[in-house]
Amino acid sequence: MAVATRAAASIPRPGRKAERGRVLGASPLEAALYVVPAAFLFAVFILLPILSNIVASLFSARGRFGLANYIQAANDPVFRVAVENSLLWVALSLLLEIAVGFALAALIELYLPRGQAVFRTLLFLPMVITPSVIALVFTTLYAPDYGLLFGLFNWLGLASYFPALLGTPSTATIAIVAVNVWQWSGFFVLMYCVGIAAIDRELLDAAAIDGARGFSRIRALIWPLCRGTTVSLVVLGTIQALQQFPLIYLMTEGGPANASQTLATYIFQTGFSENEMPYASAIAVVLFLLALALVAVEYALAGGGISLAARPRDVPG
Amino acid sequence: MQRGRAMFRAERRGRRAALAVLIAAAAASLVPTIYMVDISFRDSTQSFAPVLIAPHPILRNYAAVLATGGLGRFFLNSLIVAAGSVALTLVAATLLSFAIERLKIRFGRIILLIVLSALLLPLASLLIPITVLLSRGGLTNTWLGLIGPTAAIGIPFATVILKEAMAAIPDELEEAATLDGASSLTVLVRIVTPLTRSALIVVAIWQFLYSWNEFFLALVIMTKNAYKTLPLAPLYYQGPFMTDPGKLFAILTLIAIVPMLFYVLLQRWFVGGLMAGGVKG
Repeated sequence: MAVATRAAASIPRPGRKAERGRVLGASPLEAALYVVPAAFLFAVFILLPILSNIVASLFSARGRFGLANYIQAANDPVFRVAVENSLLWVALSLLLEIAVGFALAALIELYLPRGQAVFRTLLFLPMVITPSVIALVFTTLYAPDYGLLFGLFNWLGLASYFPALLGTPSTATIAIVAVNVWQWSGFFVLMYCVGIAAIDRELLDAAAIDGARGFSRIRALIWPLCRGTTVSLVVLGTIQALQQFPLIYLMTEGGPANASQTLATYIFQTGFSENEMPYASAIAVVLFLLALALVAVEYALAGGGISLAARPRDVPG
Repeated sequence: MQRGRAMFRAERRGRRAALAVLIAAAAASLVPTIYMVDISFRDSTQSFAPVLIAPHPILRNYAAVLATGGLGRFFLNSLIVAAGSVALTLVAATLLSFAIERLKIRFGRIILLIVLSALLLPLASLLIPITVLLSRGGLTNTWLGLIGPTAAIGIPFATVILKEAMAAIPDELEEAATLDGASSLTVLVRIVTPLTRSALIVVAIWQFLYSWNEFFLALVIMTKNAYKTLPLAPLYYQGPFMTDPGKLFAILTLIAIVPMLFYVLLQRWFVGGLMAGGVKG
């Protein structure tokens, strides 16, 4: 129904001003007053920090201007590990969250005659639990000798194969990414549910008459119609994966031996634990640029033309 | 006829398979939480048992934890920060969205673009300068020190949702009010705000959950125990209860139960608001 009103609203009616929605006049002063609260918060807590961060990154700890902090980063093996892990976080999280999110949402919206809300809520619940609580619960769940996962291995007779997931460099990052995916998949499910529910029912019925059923209907019809949702979720998931901090900090502190360090945890470690603020600022600038670069690439791959907001209604024709 | 019946059967099979997959997924989603709650009911002889549900549950951990009384302070700090953050985000984003979408102010599109670009900003890249700024301004270890940044971070998403909801309001309603001599503020309060209620609820729920659970900023801004919020409580109790997980997990359960109940009770409005068109371009 919302689709119909929306379409109707966008049809220009004869005898109306070309510009829609400008009924109210506002003097420049009045306009400024409306913008001031948001602009103030934004300037103080977002813009000013970005700028001061860039400036701080260009001065060495002794106050000399130059690229010393960036050169230090280029030669820092831990920094390289952090970049690689951050990229791994983005790739793994996105792949799993999009796949799980879309598949479960399609099942909920297209195959359940009732009870959709129950599943959407149960799957979303991990999203609302405080991350520091989740970190401690999963640290126990992963623990060798007494954790729940060890119990499962033991029950299957595989106890001697159980790895110390968080204590082994090669598995630490993947084990924490799994927690992140566990937490965020429900959000992806909900967003895809919103996207699928917004698809015109008549379009689906017409496709059914044309013989599009089951898996082919999902692949050839539903998935392309959710493109707008997918692009928004890819961008959002990228930023989320890059800024994940509490899980890593509380589960491994970036260890063992910096193996699970990401840019987010490395900024904290260099800036606060090691008190090297200028170096940490340079890493923060790199993180910021990496986020922009990744989103630019994703945007280009999606073919452009999509705004930042989720847009589940890009129905062709 | 024959073909129709076969299709019907296939559809029913599909539904059963879908239900089975969804039940498995929901179980996977719930198991860690069930595990957490169960450990909170274990005594120290059972707390390290590698099972989902241990025998002989006890309530003693909760009695012991509540008797220490320390959680109240964390809870109060969280409540003040979340309430302040939600209020500030709602007011600031509503005024901004109204100016851009209904008043069509000059440079509105540029302002919108700048605000939305913050959605591409990983919080970690702001952490150090925000901390430096707050300590210079004397705002570390104050509620406002956490309310301000979380509100600012919430504004872009809130603006996306509210601007979109305001775009759907027909001009005629405003025209009628303007002819009656109403000021733009009257129109905002009397006409626009009531019509965007479901979007405002979506923003309020999201911002509450975000600010309630915020850990990274709280960790560096609230260094004194008197101002710590609930997400920092596990860190605080982890040491003393290291050898007695039952008590630690009673605390974790108490912390987790608040946002879970909050969401279960309000999810109808959250999902309803999203479905009604909160999130669309």
